[in-house]
Amino acid sequence: MNKTLVIAKREYRAAVRTKGFLITLLLLPIFMGGGFIVMAITKDKVDTTDKRIAVVDQSGRLGENLKHRAEERNARDIKDSVTGVKKFPAYYIDLITPDVTDLNGQKLKLSDEVRNKKINAFVQIGPDVIHPQPGKEQSRICYFSENSLMDETQNWIGYVLNDKIREIRVAEIGILPEKVRDLFYWVNMEGMGLISQDTRTGDIKAARKSDVLQTIMVPYILMFLMFMTLMMSAIPLLQAVMEEKSERIAEVLLGSVSPTQFMMGKVIGGLAVSLTTTGIYILGGVFSIKAMGMGDIIPYHVLPWFFAYMLLNIIMTGCMFAAMGSTCNDSKDAQAIQFPAMLPLIIPMFVMMPVIQNPLGSFATTMSLIPPFTPMLMLVRQATQVTIPIWQPIAGLLGVLIFTLLSVWIGGRIFRSCIIMHGKRPKMGLLFKQLMKG
Amino acid sequence: MTNIIEISGITKTFGSHVAVDNLSLAVPEGSIYGFIGPNGSGKTTTIRMIMNILYPDNGSIRIFGEEQTGSNIGRIGYLPEERGLYRKMKLRELIQFHGELKKVPNPGKEADYWLKKFDLEPWAKKKVETLSKGMSQKVQFIVTIIDKPAIIILDEPFSGLDPVNAEVIREVILDLRKSGSTVIFSTHDMSVAEKMCDFIFMIYKGKKVLDGTLQSIKDQYGQDTLLLQTDLGSAALDDIDGIDRINDFGQQQEVRLLPGTDPQKILEQVILRARISRFEMSSPSLEDIFIRIARPEKNNSHE
Repeated sequence: MNKTLVIAKREYRAAVRTKGFLITLLLLPIFMGGGFIVMAITKDKVDTTDKRIAVVDQSGRLGENLKHRAEERNARDIKDSVTGVKKFPAYYIDLITPDVTDLNGQKLKLSDEVRNKKINAFVQIGPDVIHPQPGKEQSRICYFSENSLMDETQNWIGYVLNDKIREIRVAEIGILPEKVRDLFYWVNMEGMGLISQDTRTGDIKAARKSDVLQTIMVPYILMFLMFMTLMMSAIPLLQAVMEEKSERIAEVLLGSVSPTQFMMGKVIGGLAVSLTTTGIYILGGVFSIKAMGMGDIIPYHVLPWFFAYMLLNIIMTGCMFAAMGSTCNDSKDAQAIQFPAMLPLIIPMFVMMPVIQNPLGSFATTMSLIPPFTPMLMLVRQATQVTIPIWQPIAGLLGVLIFTLLSVWIGGRIFRSCIIMHGKRPKMGLLFKQLMKG
Repeated sequence: MTNIIEISGITKTFGSHVAVDNLSLAVPEGSIYGFIGPNGSGKTTTIRMIMNILYPDNGSIRIFGEEQTGSNIGRIGYLPEERGLYRKMKLRELIQFHGELKKVPNPGKEADYWLKKFDLEPWAKKKVETLSKGMSQKVQFIVTIIDKPAIIILDEPFSGLDPVNAEVIREVILDLRKSGSTVIFSTHDMSVAEKMCDFIFMIYKGKKVLDGTLQSIKDQYGQDTLLLQTDLGSAALDDIDGIDRINDFGQQQEVRLLPGTDPQKILEQVILRARISRFEMSSPSLEDIFIRIARPEKNNSHE
């Protein structure tokens, strides 16, 4: 057997036969999907404890209506019409007469009541809200609570108050509210995917409504998978090579193989590990998604690109990490170098969201054509539902290919000269000299 | 006899430090060649250049009659001075792995053979990290010679071994030589070098200072050494003129005489002081020669 493959085989077996590998294999989907699973579970779990809201109505025209609408809602909307199970909290409105002499004192008292859990929140309606002066204190409606950003109650009250304000304004100009009911009906725009034609049957497939699952999760999962495979295959090479160097295993092996064979054997071993893990995940993912009846969200056309990018990315990153490992003498050196070395992998994670949101934008295009970022970011763009111009993935892949060859060459040279060099970690200048000299 | 390794005029510098300076050496096929020299004198660097792990700045190395390019390292067994093994691997798997790397036809069988030969069978399925230091020394030796290479280069093969294990390894080295291998080893143990080597090469501060058969080296120094054993120890030699240096081994003294000193005069003086059980003129031991070269500044002292 080829010596490189003998090394690769050993690396593969050493990695796959550990308990750590099995544990990571099992835990990874949990880490990856954890957030989404929690979101999915908690989505339907609405807090149904009743809410008591104090209202200080300085305008004097909105409070009564609000109280009335809340009572209507409590009677009609909070229970499931069929099962009678409570689905939403009831809202109780306490109308408080504004204390004109000491409004701030009154607000402080109400705040303390919120803190003491006597009420959940209080609302202050300014005196001029019907005919507001923009920017004026008098024209505001304020909702005071401990967590005023994420609050369903606030939305509901805001809607009811504005509804009433509109009604009053319409009545004031002498139009009957019934005549303009449609005036305020907001028609929501729904995001849809494109119409496509089934290549076999010729049928036109209906457009699907785009949802979060598809626009974000599919690219996210593919990118995360790539990141995690790199974490499991290429990044450990830094530590492994450092250990082989410091434990003097390297020189023993160099008695039988050339440094390049040694390095490539390790990288190919890592590659085989990642093919195993991604193979398991992708097959598992495809089967379970199909079993859930969502087979049409699997981006089959992206999978070959995924594997091509992954292959090159692991070789590219692996060679670099192996080379950097060869410059380290102990784990302190390795730790110091690890974070900067990981930046090319972390940056794509940072910019993932803007790229998913606007895959055709110049930011996304430029970033995804920078070779170290291409495997992850081009993949993300391709996995979105937007059609990327075909030259871009091809150019990206070519760039990555060139970059990978360069990494193998540079990595090999650094590895060769550093793997048996003990003592101080070489400085950049020396590394560059060795790179040139070979 | 053809030369299996021919080194001509190699130089290797690290920064401003010249590790090996214009070194030439020819190793005849089938010989045992001993590399000696103080720590840091360039032995390991020379060996690494032969192994193509380091590249000389100047000069050339020919192995098997060809320029060393690394293509022939498969025919060389190399035991580095500082060596490590994959600690998490099981012993038999590890030996088999190295056998595969060296393209041994049946690595598993070969592993079993050597495990038995070195009494390591009970550990075959244990992890390397459970082995004692001596045992892992033996394993390292096995993985070096598992393919019975044509050239065997051993950097300090006996360091840290007890006499029994050193004996086993010595036997295997001699067997391999009998079957045609050329052996190069470096050592700090001069008595081993004297007993085993056909040729001795000494490097000091990167330069070759000795090269030849043991006899030819000793001949250069002549019969200037007195081996003395008395009931008084070194005190028997106090205040006697004509002595350059005494290597005191306690029971026995190795005395280097100043040029022109008559040993008879010394015998006359010692015989009056002590009972002599040995008085022999000889050529200096390799150890003494080593010290004469490596500690020139001490040559003038009488201690």
